[in-house]
Amino acid sequence: MTKAPLLSLRGLGIRFGGLVAVDEVNLDLPHGHITCIIGPNGAGKSTLFNLITGIYKPTSGQVVLNGETITALAPHKIAAKGIARTFQSSRLFEDLSILDNVIIGMHARTKTGVLTALLLPWISRRELEACATEAGDILNRISPELYARRYEPAGILPQADRRRLEIARALASHPKLILLDEPSSGMDDRDTAGLMADIRRVMADTPGLSFLIIEHDMRLVAELPDDVIVIDYGKKIAEGDFAEVRLLPRVQQAYLGQKAVENA
Amino acid sequence: MSAQNPSVPDNLALPAPLVVIAAQVIGAALLWGLLTAESTLVILLLLAVMAAAFAAMQIRPQIEENIVAAFRRSRRLALMVGLVLVLIWPFFLIKNTYGMHLVIVALLYSVLALALNFQLGSANIPNFATGATYGIGAYTSALLAINYGFSLWATLPAAAIVATAFGFLLGIPSMRTKDSYLALVTIAFGIVIHQMLNNLSWTGGPNGLVGIPAPSLFGHSFMSPINVFGYRLPAQANFYYLSVVLLGLAILSAKRLHESRIGLAWNAIRADELAAKSQGINVAWYKILAFAVDAFLAAFAGTVYAFYVSYISPDNFTFLVSVTIMTMVIVGGMDNTFGVIVGAFLLTLLPEKLRIFSDYRLLFVSVVVILFLILRPRGLFPQRQRSYGGH
Ligand SMILES: Nc1ncnc2c1ncn2[C@@H]1O[C@H](COP(=O)(O)OP(=O)(O)O)[C@@H](O)[C@H]1O
Ligand SMILES: [Mg+2]
Repeated sequence: MTKAPLLSLRGLGIRFGGLVAVDEVNLDLPHGHITCIIGPNGAGKSTLFNLITGIYKPTSGQVVLNGETITALAPHKIAAKGIARTFQSSRLFEDLSILDNVIIGMHARTKTGVLTALLLPWISRRELEACATEAGDILNRISPELYARRYEPAGILPQADRRRLEIARALASHPKLILLDEPSSGMDDRDTAGLMADIRRVMADTPGLSFLIIEHDMRLVAELPDDVIVIDYGKKIAEGDFAEVRLLPRVQQAYLGQKAVENA
Repeated sequence: MSAQNPSVPDNLALPAPLVVIAAQVIGAALLWGLLTAESTLVILLLLAVMAAAFAAMQIRPQIEENIVAAFRRSRRLALMVGLVLVLIWPFFLIKNTYGMHLVIVALLYSVLALALNFQLGSANIPNFATGATYGIGAYTSALLAINYGFSLWATLPAAAIVATAFGFLLGIPSMRTKDSYLALVTIAFGIVIHQMLNNLSWTGGPNGLVGIPAPSLFGHSFMSPINVFGYRLPAQANFYYLSVVLLGLAILSAKRLHESRIGLAWNAIRADELAAKSQGINVAWYKILAFAVDAFLAAFAGTVYAFYVSYISPDNFTFLVSVTIMTMVIVGGMDNTFGVIVGAFLLTLLPEKLRIFSDYRLLFVSVVVILFLILRPRGLFPQRQRSYGGH
């Protein structure tokens, strides 16, 4: 067994003009691990996701996936390498069916090109039908209600279902790493419990798969992850077990600072 | 909205085969009426009938659902009835040269509208240059036929290759620009092509190209009438059947791409580009591909048009032509093949038949677009969700 990390960030950073949004972040994510990222609003957590997935080009540092440098590759190439993600404010293909949303998640691992689609249509139809079957299974595992409504447009779903569908779409690509940006926002306690159960089940079903999750719900952060990373002002300020990390003065400071701002 | 697979209807009041046959015969009759009617009053009456049908569907969507379900259930019958109607169609217009001409033009515009639909409908790329790629196809074929004696059949692939190359070229800016900026790029491209056709000497300048030789197939010249069952179809019928075959090809291409991961990728780009990228979709490539497919089909239409009228000039391929094609897609229904064809027929026939409006063509088109964007923003026949066999 190789002990090399699944994902390594080496001095990763980006500045927007004068603002250093992510500052020299170093990080090793093991295989088969759940890691939560916490930190106050505006700390640079979502920006870090955008750097990993190639949506922003870093101004410093490297992103290494399984030993391969993928820094600043185009987003679609990084997706094809096995990093799937959800967005803080969900981005579904609103006018397409719930099922099609999941099928599109399989784009990077299907192959049909234009000529095949035009000249050998049965091949592309068979491919898409196999995708539809698998997409149905994925949906059904995440949420039987979503499965039952799979031919309805995604745009009509309520917040919690949108998050679930985004996760189903991410799973559809058979990724090695899934980045979830605040998956429990817009969910009530029951939904959040369901979300944790789903993540654990997916982990159990898929050896080696890792999750990197930005979260604000402290109950989830206390229960779910193997590790926690704290980010403040773009810097990684702490890392480790949540029970220990939460007691660190600099972590308390970061959150207290935010409370002070919010109360002001 | 039903949670069912869209191919499984909730209930059908009438037997599917009856619905299918009735719908197609009524549709053909309406088209025949529009083509042959002389008086504006009759035409307005026919339009009122159509408007009433759409109003009914608008108020009770179940009607439309049922008709679609019937067609899905009796797909083979629908295809056969349609084929028969299309084959015997020229027999109903034997004396009506003008009506036949309008049908051929409408068929070619249907191909152009389907070509544009890959971009505008599937991927939401505003391309105002379909008229230009249409012209590139027509001029390539005409030049090859006049100067080098190419036959229609040889010019078809040649024109498609040349136009597709231009399509790729036009698609490259789409990697960097979006929306209104991209629209401006395509408008500029269209104007440049039009200006070049107007000013170059080897394209005949504003006079265009004359004397494109009539094509022939297995020794049958397209200038000679078709004799069948003692009937004598005018020579135009040759081009009618050729245009039908071309439209058939366009429909087949549209269907096959729509039912593949390529159509899904285009739809994903239309809905959310960033999310599409994050699913592994190479957005730049798919946009360029949409331009290339558009140009390929438009070149076919241009070739058939050039051989049909045997005379082309830059004025056949103006910005207005591009706008008209765009209107056909918007009116008919984005990413709905049938809708786009209906849009193409209506917008070809109405300005011609409603002579009162003929001096106000652009006004007519503009009013139609505005009305549709307000009343039925997704077109006469909006895109339907895909269904997958057995699920
Ligand atoms: N594209 C951008 N241009 C300029 N500033 C940005 C951009 N994206 C993010 N930022 C800034 O970077 C900081 C971190 O934002 P973000 O990563 O969204 O924080 P969070 O930790 O809440 O997810 C914020 O100050 C934000 O305004
Ligand atoms: Mg954020």
